[in-house]
Amino acid sequence: MPKRKLDPLPSAAFQILLSLADQDLHGYAIMRQVLEQTDGRMRLGPGTLYSSIQSLLEESFIKEVDSREDATPGDQRRRCYRLTSAGLKLARSEAERLAGLLRVARAKKILRGDYV
Amino acid sequence: MSEKIYAFLLRLYPSGFRKAYGGEAMQLVRDRLRDEKGLSCRLRLWRDLLVDLAMSLPREYRNAQPVLASSSTQRRLDGVPSFHVLEDQPPSVGTILAAVLFVLLALGTLSMMLKHVGDHRRSSDSVMQGRAAQTRWAPSPGSAARLSGNASHATVAVSQPAVAPSSADSPRAASTDLMLDNAERQRVIEAAVDNLKKHYFDSGGAEKMANALLFHERNGDYNSINDGKAFAELLTRQMRKVGQDVDLAMEYSPARLPDHPQAQTPEDLARYRNFLEQNNCFYKKVEILPHAIGYVKLDGFADASICRSTAVAAMASLNGTKAVIFDLRDNRGGDPAMVSLMAAYLFDHPEYWYSPRPGPTPQSWTQSPVPGNHLADKPVYLLTSASTWSAGEQFSYDLKMMKRATLIGETTGGGAHAGVWHRIDDHFGMGIPEVRVVNPYAKNDWEGTGVEPDVKVKAADALIAAEKLAESKLQRGKTD
Repeated sequence: MPKRKLDPLPSAAFQILLSLADQDLHGYAIMRQVLEQTDGRMRLGPGTLYSSIQSLLEESFIKEVDSREDATPGDQRRRCYRLTSAGLKLARSEAERLAGLLRVARAKKILRGDYV
Repeated sequence: MSEKIYAFLLRLYPSGFRKAYGGEAMQLVRDRLRDEKGLSCRLRLWRDLLVDLAMSLPREYRNAQPVLASSSTQRRLDGVPSFHVLEDQPPSVGTILAAVLFVLLALGTLSMMLKHVGDHRRSSDSVMQGRAAQTRWAPSPGSAARLSGNASHATVAVSQPAVAPSSADSPRAASTDLMLDNAERQRVIEAAVDNLKKHYFDSGGAEKMANALLFHERNGDYNSINDGKAFAELLTRQMRKVGQDVDLAMEYSPARLPDHPQAQTPEDLARYRNFLEQNNCFYKKVEILPHAIGYVKLDGFADASICRSTAVAAMASLNGTKAVIFDLRDNRGGDPAMVSLMAAYLFDHPEYWYSPRPGPTPQSWTQSPVPGNHLADKPVYLLTSASTWSAGEQFSYDLKMMKRATLIGETTGGGAHAGVWHRIDDHFGMGIPEVRVVNPYAKNDWEGTGVEPDVKVKAADALIAAEKLAESKLQRGKTD
């Protein structure tokens, strides 16, 4: 059986799903959004970004949409990406998994306070 | 330019990925180039791109081979090779060129790294003889001064290079050809006279040597000498002739001698410690030969403060043996404290341990007996060669004089005496013995002559000879 590329869900793919949670974005905008939501910790390079996008597309967690809104003169048409319902479900289940981990960490007194 | 380089790197990705996302990846890089200006931003951008390339490239190639990944599930006939098409089109010329360039870059990087490692090894050699040796200066006969000094006052071993790296190896020491002028000659003579009067242990002898040098200078004997090496050799000969002391030496270094004692950094110490550990503190072999004969091949006496535990473990492992052979044929000297430490195992009570080099903390008596040690009454054989030098010779000489060991092999190299190093200027320095050391065994020790073995054989045959001697002695012991 071929190994599923998104099982377990890589961090970069999860961040891309999160970045698309409330808006459609093109590649560079995804990179900027991920940078922002990780407080500058994750700067997706083009290889990692499009490799992850490719995997998410193959599994139908995101889909392509056309957008000409931010196209500058001479700029090529950019592909934007949108979260699908399957993608939303995947992101939610990953978030819940992480929340579970946080609960364990708090129970073990590794983390304190109301983080979640 | 950056865009072009990235476009080139993008060719390294599988064609499927390039077709699908090459344009977008390029667009992303263009966006970042537009938004991230300034040197630090550009450096960060390139770091990101290269790291990203290294991380994502293998993954993309793995992902580009779904057929291969699932091939194990396909039915295969035994012994029949099966082939899987990984790419639906042959690689383009550009891809092949990119691959060639990538390989060349990788090879270039590798060779640079290897060179770096080589340099590091060479610099590691400079610390081979221990911290004690770092304050030791060992000039070679007729060669440039060799200085590893971390101290302005350093112990000098006259006659052969034993311990220190060439100062030419030091990045700080730029080699220059010096043509002596009158002022330089005068400066050297004045400094030599001054140093002799201040530091030589025999003030009467110092006065005589100083007068002799000044006499030759007034006589104009030095005026025609423009070569630094020849000048240093002449002064050395004259001092030794008048002072009757072979420890005295004037040395010339074409490379500039360091101004001040070089401070030993924690990195130096760590590198030195690491070097010793990697070389097992110069214990090249510790074995039990047939007939319970212990064999230790020791190529140097490493710094006792670092290698004590290695030495203790090595000696303890020989505890059950009936005789011990120390192979010093490749021993180039080292730390006198380690010599004394090892000698302690060969006696059951403290013995006077003669050293021609007065160290900062002289250990004149062996620390015998060593608790739990059973080697004090076992026969000891030392293998020597013409390369056995300095501390290796001290170990041999003392044990021979005390009749505690049988020396087998060749006469040793002959480096015994030591003085204290005094820098005169950028190219001249001199070694002066400051303390008179009395040899309890003879008027002269092994300086210049070496230590004579009890059994003379070629160095290559020494081990066999020693084994035979040891075996016959053990046999005799049984029959007695």
